[in-house]
Amino acid sequence: MTDPAFLVVAAVTIIGAIMAIEARDLVYGAAALGISFLGIAGLFILLDATYVAAFQISVYIGAVVVLILFTVMLVGPAKGEAPMEHKRASLFAAVLVSMFLGIGGSLASANAFPGVEVCGSGCDLQILSQTLLNNYGTQLELLSFVLVAAVIGALTLAKTEKA
Amino acid sequence: MEPLSSFFAVSIILLGIGIYGMTTKRSAIRILFSVELVYNAANLNIIAFSRLRNPPIITGQVIVLFSISLAAMEAAVGLAIIILAFRINADIDLRKLTKLKG
Repeated sequence: MTDPAFLVVAAVTIIGAIMAIEARDLVYGAAALGISFLGIAGLFILLDATYVAAFQISVYIGAVVVLILFTVMLVGPAKGEAPMEHKRASLFAAVLVSMFLGIGGSLASANAFPGVEVCGSGCDLQILSQTLLNNYGTQLELLSFVLVAAVIGALTLAKTEKA
Repeated sequence: MEPLSSFFAVSIILLGIGIYGMTTKRSAIRILFSVELVYNAANLNIIAFSRLRNPPIITGQVIVLFSISLAAMEAAVGLAIIILAFRINADIDLRKLTKLKG
């Protein structure tokens, strides 16, 4: 019943996410975050959203993770996180709550949602491009303006100030 | 056939891990990791929900494309802020960034 490909990809995603948060070294954390993003892309492929998966890989793993790695190297090795009180307890609580909500909710509602069927025209690449350019053309242009604004903002922030 | 609720489960677990990271970590970069995880959980949720309609609708994928672009911008600006904070304070421990305190 359960697709083995789904199990593998979901496990990669979740373990990557936990490693990204808990790895001692920030560089390993960034690498684990990239693996988690790769798992998300695999989940998108399982949902027949192949273009979104390709976009996810190129934007997240190609740009965001590399940017994060640059920042980690610029900022240098972490000075060691100060030990939190109740750290183990809060990790346990986080795992418990998310497992309860995720797996419990999934089991409880397994019959409420249909399975992933063959998508057909609803996931067609041609229809995606038509919708994106015909119906959402204005928003796409607006998005590029927002991108320019973000780039200018980041440059202004990172510029050296002669104080 | 994989039921859609399994994808929702992965999304919720990612959200839980992200919130855990945001609330317990002190390093600004780690908190940025957590924000990205929450973003990804939301994207996965939207894609899975767009499959729920019969026949499936493509608008979900369009929304997620926009959302991924916005997340990339957010990461760029966030990392610029982190570099600035490091230059001012020589540390990215968020609990030591108290310059704005009156």
